[in-house]
Amino acid sequence: MSDIQPCWFLQIDLDTIDVSNLNRQFLFQKKHVGKSKAQVAKESALQFCPTANITAYHDSIMNPDYNVEFFRKFVLVMNALDNRAARNHVNRMCLAADIPLIESGTAGYLGQVTVIKKGMTECYECQPKPTQKTFPGCTIRNTPSEPIHCIVWAKYLFNQLFGEEDADQEVSPDTADPEAAWKPEETAARATASEKDGDIKRVSTKDWARSTGYDPVKLFNKLFKDDIMYLLTMDKLWKKRKAPTPLDWHQLENSACPQEDSPVSGLKDQQVLGVWGHCQLFQQSVETLSSQLQEKGEGAELVWDKDDPPAMDFVTAASNLRMHIFSMNMKSRFDVKSMAGNIIPAIATTNAVIAGLIVLEGLKILSGELESCRTIFLNKCPNLRKKLLVPCILDPPSANCYVCTSKPEVTVKLNVHKTMVLSLQDRILKERFGMVAPDVQIEDGKGTILISSEEGETEANNSKFLSDFGIRNGSRLQVDDFLQDYTLLVNVLHTEELERDVEFEVVGEAPDKAPPPQTNQEEVNSITNGNKDSAQPSTSSKAPAEDDDIMIVDSDEEEGASSSSATAATSGTKRKHSDAETGEASTKRPRTDQLSAAAAPTDDDDDDIIALD
Amino acid sequence: MYNRQRAVKTRTVHHLFSICHPRKLWQNKLRGSRVLLVGLGGLGAEVAKNLILAGVKGLTLLDHEQASEESCRAQFLVPVTARGQNRARASLERAQNLNPMVEVHADSDRVEDKPDDFFLQFDAVCLTGCSRDLMVRVDQLCSQRNIKVFCGDVYGYYGYMFCNLGQEHNYVEEKPKLVKPTGNSNDGPEAKKAKVDPNETTMVKKTSSFCTLKEALEVDWTSEKAKAGLKRTPVDYFLLHVLLKFRTDKGRDPDPQSFAEDSQLLRQIRDDVLEALAVSGDLLSDDFTSYCFSEMSPVCAVVGGVLGQEVVKALSQRDPPHRNFFFFDGRKGNGVVDFFGPK
Repeated sequence: MSDIQPCWFLQIDLDTIDVSNLNRQFLFQKKHVGKSKAQVAKESALQFCPTANITAYHDSIMNPDYNVEFFRKFVLVMNALDNRAARNHVNRMCLAADIPLIESGTAGYLGQVTVIKKGMTECYECQPKPTQKTFPGCTIRNTPSEPIHCIVWAKYLFNQLFGEEDADQEVSPDTADPEAAWKPEETAARATASEKDGDIKRVSTKDWARSTGYDPVKLFNKLFKDDIMYLLTMDKLWKKRKAPTPLDWHQLENSACPQEDSPVSGLKDQQVLGVWGHCQLFQQSVETLSSQLQEKGEGAELVWDKDDPPAMDFVTAASNLRMHIFSMNMKSRFDVKSMAGNIIPAIATTNAVIAGLIVLEGLKILSGELESCRTIFLNKCPNLRKKLLVPCILDPPSANCYVCTSKPEVTVKLNVHKTMVLSLQDRILKERFGMVAPDVQIEDGKGTILISSEEGETEANNSKFLSDFGIRNGSRLQVDDFLQDYTLLVNVLHTEELERDVEFEVVGEAPDKAPPPQTNQEEVNSITNGNKDSAQPSTSSKAPAEDDDIMIVDSDEEEGASSSSATAATSGTKRKHSDAETGEASTKRPRTDQLSAAAAPTDDDDDDIIALD
Repeated sequence: MYNRQRAVKTRTVHHLFSICHPRKLWQNKLRGSRVLLVGLGGLGAEVAKNLILAGVKGLTLLDHEQASEESCRAQFLVPVTARGQNRARASLERAQNLNPMVEVHADSDRVEDKPDDFFLQFDAVCLTGCSRDLMVRVDQLCSQRNIKVFCGDVYGYYGYMFCNLGQEHNYVEEKPKLVKPTGNSNDGPEAKKAKVDPNETTMVKKTSSFCTLKEALEVDWTSEKAKAGLKRTPVDYFLLHVLLKFRTDKGRDPDPQSFAEDSQLLRQIRDDVLEALAVSGDLLSDDFTSYCFSEMSPVCAVVGGVLGQEVVKALSQRDPPHRNFFFFDGRKGNGVVDFFGPK
């Protein structure tokens, strides 16, 4: 090992260092806040190994400068990303450039590492992946687009007001959001500025709340009016998104309808309250919680628990108010509880294990031992074969993959009279099919260009419907993303019968719901990840404190009521992983969904390595 | 000795805002713990980082060795400029910077010279790079006083972790609540099954029992039952015996600088050890000698991650501990948990 000479490392990261990153990393210190992550990581890594050759780019990997030619310069790519869009993109770039990619992810105690090599293994998109369950901080703080973002925010808020304050659980608008800045340099300046201000003026949320006597109306107006108005000033965020609408307590009070908000008995939990109902719930729960806090005395903290009524009330109210502000349909207490209870924090040691495994796979690749590469799953408890770390033979590419087969094709069900060209571009081609800059031609014999990736060229088409261009049942669209060197043929299936709130469906895939609860430890290994239909992937791929992204894991069901022994996993193996040693075939494929891992830069024994963020 | 599991007093957690909240309890326990970490090599540095980030109350770094060029490479807490300095002291600054809330101390004494009562001031003791005799002695001493004991090492691509949490280690585990079936016999089989309510969980109290390191290492393989169990036994257990013996005999670990000589000695020790344990010489092929030199940093990360998390779990008394060995083979990517000791 020690005789492999370091060649060249390239790290790319759009993010700047946030104070919340500090307590989970050994690369960044307080003096680095506001600076580029890639740059500081490089400097810190050089401390460990002064002879390493490292280049740092403060940029997004989705920048078109990083084309196939660029990727071809490297012999290996390692991902440590936190969002689906970037992962899909890098997957395609590595396929196009034909270089091996090491993908990985962690979720609480669970983790996995895998190797992707064109033609030899599955690509990242060979298997459909359920909902993305990790969310960057700026999504939580600035641009929520789904109820779960609001629920995570409400849980953070609980801790900030009543519990243990955590720098990773900020709720206030994030001024250092890379998406808000028109230029990357601006972001660094803002981050540094806000940090400086903080030393003088910043007061903890809890202290501020205390100074108001935990006045519910004052809290309400700050969180749901003032902070929202601040967000509105970050105009770039709302260029392509629906802007939030601030709430005013007194306005709501005056226009409240008594009937609509009094809860029906019995099914209380499953009812969805109105806005004023949530305001009242917010007020009640704040009053209860603040008096509990006071009772406990100086320096007291409450611990959130979904089974504690006032705590759950608080999260129900706060998350729903936020959903309403961001134009989402509100949810019942029952639904909120079910989502809130499944959120678990990331665990730093899991990241350490996965980082080690990433490097070990990397060493195999650099030694020319691709065939010894494996997918490795990290369990929470040993499985029935006593394994905590389970290596599995890599699966070959899927014949149906709409990315890595030679002529990818999909069929999409939608209503041609109701789907706008802009929706096709943004929600279907970009969000769902992971393209960055799609060009769309209709296969109508005339080669009509529906969408051009060149800015402005087809803007006039955006608000027209697909049917306006003669697109109907059976039409075919040729979609190209030249950056990704990717062509996809989209077959259109017209339908008038889609479920409520569903704009389109990809044929051949199960509807995108959370996977059913799982019965065995191994199954919990299907680390679930991003949904194309839901969250707007942030192209800034900001990952504040990767180690502290919040994950949701499906509840870990047990088959029997009896306690199990400490060493054996819960009973009932429903799935087998193909085993490296015995070569057992898997009866069902585990989902190789991957979440981000902390980037552990990097070993000097390799050639070119990019760390992406 | 056997593993006792008792599900005692399951109860839905409603009255959670008292100071006895289970979640608060485990947080408090961890935050009040003092840990001794012996050995600041690659593995020690990883464990130190993990425990400091997790937020123990105090961590004492004990190491008499000097930082060499190799340790500067393998270990990220020692700056390259600190060559020649004591490893524990050289690691202190970066370790402390990870989390100012933790009281980090450096001690440059030899662990062998420490009197018994030195160890008794800690809630948990973690031994890396130590001789077998030392580990057996400290394990004996500590586990009697309900001090959690952990041992671990990395040899090239291989690594292990051992723990002794005492004869009665109590912990809690969060489990989904089972809802009793309410349907009558006409409702069909589904109605009779206990269903899991995904929204409700309970904290279940459990107990786990551990043996000493001495007992774990002195398993008798001559019995018929043991022989029959050999097929399912990770060979890493025997590899550990070989490597510990090398360390005892040579006072150091296999050194790449004397690769040929050390490889030969390793093979010899392998033959002696397997014979003494009355198991087949075929269990460990010659291959292993190529892969057990130097602490590989990614292997330190893996073993240090698992070991670090076990320490956190044991101190928090939350979640089932791995019982009682974890073996990692970095060549295969295999990580196995198994119990060795009197059943």
